[in-house]
Amino acid sequence: MSARAAVPLADVPLASPAAARTAAATATTTAMTSVATSAAASVTTSVATSATATGTTPAAPVDRRASVRTIFPPPGEGARPGTGEVHAHHGEIVQGVFYADGVLEHGLVTLPCSLYRTRARFRPVRSGPLTVEPGDRRRARAAARLTLDALGRTGWGGAIRIDGNVPLRWGCGSSTTDVLATIRAVADAFDAVLEPAWAARLAVAAETASDSLMFAPGRAVLFAQRRGSMLLDLGGPLPPVRVLGFNTEADRGVETLSLPPVPYTAWEREAFGPILGLLRHAVERQDPALLGRVATASTLINQRHRPKRSMPRLLEAAAEAGALGVQVAHSGTVAGFLFEPGEGASPRVERAREALGRLGMHRSWEFTTDLSPHPEPLS
Amino acid sequence: MSLVHANMVDGIALPRLVWLHPNLVGLAFPLMKLLPARFIIRKALESGELRPGGLIAETTSGTFGLALAMVARLGGHPLTLVSDPAIDAPLKRRLEDLGATVHIVREPGASGGYQQARLAVLEEVLAGSPGSFCPRQYSNPGNPESYAACAEQLAHATGAVDCLVGSVGSGGSVCGTSSYLRRMFPDLVAVGVDTHRSVIFGQSDAGGGRTLRGLGNSLMPQNVDHTAFDWVHWVGAAEAFLATRRLHREHALFAGPTSGAAYLVADWWARENPDQLVAVIFPDEGYRYQDTVYDDAWLEAKGLRLDVLPRGPVEWARPHDGDDPWSSYRWGRRPYPEVMRAPGPRRELVPA
Repeated sequence: MSARAAVPLADVPLASPAAARTAAATATTTAMTSVATSAAASVTTSVATSATATGTTPAAPVDRRASVRTIFPPPGEGARPGTGEVHAHHGEIVQGVFYADGVLEHGLVTLPCSLYRTRARFRPVRSGPLTVEPGDRRRARAAARLTLDALGRTGWGGAIRIDGNVPLRWGCGSSTTDVLATIRAVADAFDAVLEPAWAARLAVAAETASDSLMFAPGRAVLFAQRRGSMLLDLGGPLPPVRVLGFNTEADRGVETLSLPPVPYTAWEREAFGPILGLLRHAVERQDPALLGRVATASTLINQRHRPKRSMPRLLEAAAEAGALGVQVAHSGTVAGFLFEPGEGASPRVERAREALGRLGMHRSWEFTTDLSPHPEPLS
Repeated sequence: MSLVHANMVDGIALPRLVWLHPNLVGLAFPLMKLLPARFIIRKALESGELRPGGLIAETTSGTFGLALAMVARLGGHPLTLVSDPAIDAPLKRRLEDLGATVHIVREPGASGGYQQARLAVLEEVLAGSPGSFCPRQYSNPGNPESYAACAEQLAHATGAVDCLVGSVGSGGSVCGTSSYLRRMFPDLVAVGVDTHRSVIFGQSDAGGGRTLRGLGNSLMPQNVDHTAFDWVHWVGAAEAFLATRRLHREHALFAGPTSGAAYLVADWWARENPDQLVAVIFPDEGYRYQDTVYDDAWLEAKGLRLDVLPRGPVEWARPHDGDDPWSSYRWGRRPYPEVMRAPGPRRELVPA
């Protein structure tokens, strides 16, 4: 297992830099739990290690700001501790190349995932070093520096602490969640709210390629991950779908930022236009079935370049179970079967889960992009 | 996207989408060949095959030449078109007005008709002008690829498409559009519309030229991917002309006879399959045909005037040179040699 394997949020021990802060950290854990359970997310697994996930009882609402202040005393001088939280994503609905003003640009539309999130806390000081914890999050540190500069606070320093449960190297945007949460935390410390497009530019400057998490989950956008700008605003959220997620490589992953651009064939380079056309229709009509078609189409093209293990059998299993489509992290290892929202899909989800088990993928999880309740269908 | 198009080619390259029946959408192109012409030239410039201001040469007597002339003029390229006497005078004047040089080949080749003869002249022009570029719409993969833009527009507008109907001449529009739509809708039914004495789906071109122009071919274009087609229909000139007029009279859609042929088949398919969403490609407008297809006296004089359309096609058991005015064959997405090798109709043996 990697250092930050996919464990449910409640299980994440928040790294506490000093033993003296244990009590405060516990309070924070409770606060985060209440956030997690309010999201439409549940984790199920057939291995015992993280079975505690599903049984978490929602804690009483806690004033998060108050608990944070316990950890970081106010520094004064017009700044206060800031926090930033970002949901991860579960790979993409589509990733490919798209025409922007006649030029092909790499672009993607991510699938927001409420299961995984990152929180950054920033305690500013007027002058001094800028530190990040865990210490290996250099991109987050760079993002903090860029954000300070952007806010006219050049020369300021402070301490950044990052925690969360986003799996590394699965293609869930862990690097971007670190960077984006940090940008938001720094901005928050100065009572600044950053436009998504501004946050996007800072994120790309900090990590060379970025996901479009700054727009999620309310707005689906086609995002140029290498340029850090929006190619197309799809005008609404993705259609509501239930997602049965799994990892095609057990707990292993890939280093997503180091992957070179996919060398698409001439035919494929044109194929993403029609896929985008269908996605626009699916978003405009909020049609889950067509979203499934879009995801599968992109998955099939990606499979020719970055093949996922067992994909032919996964596609078969999805079709047999009655899934709407199969989405993947194009540069990662997670994948998901898409189903229509609501309880009506439960038998199909169950069939798919069993099929995954037969393919040796015993660990799966479920989430939804749907933020509205669904009444039982009329019979 | 800007509300003002950069130029006229960009302005009219994509079709207008029109409901003709509750389950039939028409893709009405002003000039469909603008899509492959624009795309092929753009790609050739990107790859360096065509230099800025370099000569473009092509053999055509139809709308691909007009599309090339528009693209070449806007891009600042000289253009030589090799054509045959079938080219109509107004088209030739229009091409020349756009700055194209039009070569007319006067004698058909020994085999392959005028098209073979035109290809020979084209090779001479290209050889005589180093650095020149020939789009070769019949074999350039950019031709089918250019129709991704059309598939995008259709998918955005209608979502799922169950059936695509279009006339087949170079193989670009139907093979290209269906290949992209099938990435999302693998069960899409592709119906190709051909005409008598066209070799594309297994007839021979013996016995004189085709009366219905703009679809079919006397040579086999490389861009025809036979495995794209579920069904093939052969439509005669008189039937196509009347269907063209019906399209105009009933839907105010003023289009050319290849559109009429496609409409005849698509209208029938949509009525036979009311649960399917059918899309049909209309490649050009009716202006070039006002003195022919749209002139009853001309139709009468040519013996091509019909009062009623056939109710449906005669389904053939295999492709042949039969002269049913409207016939169909279940091609079944097979390669050409496989269809041609298949045994003819056989009486099933009744078990004793």
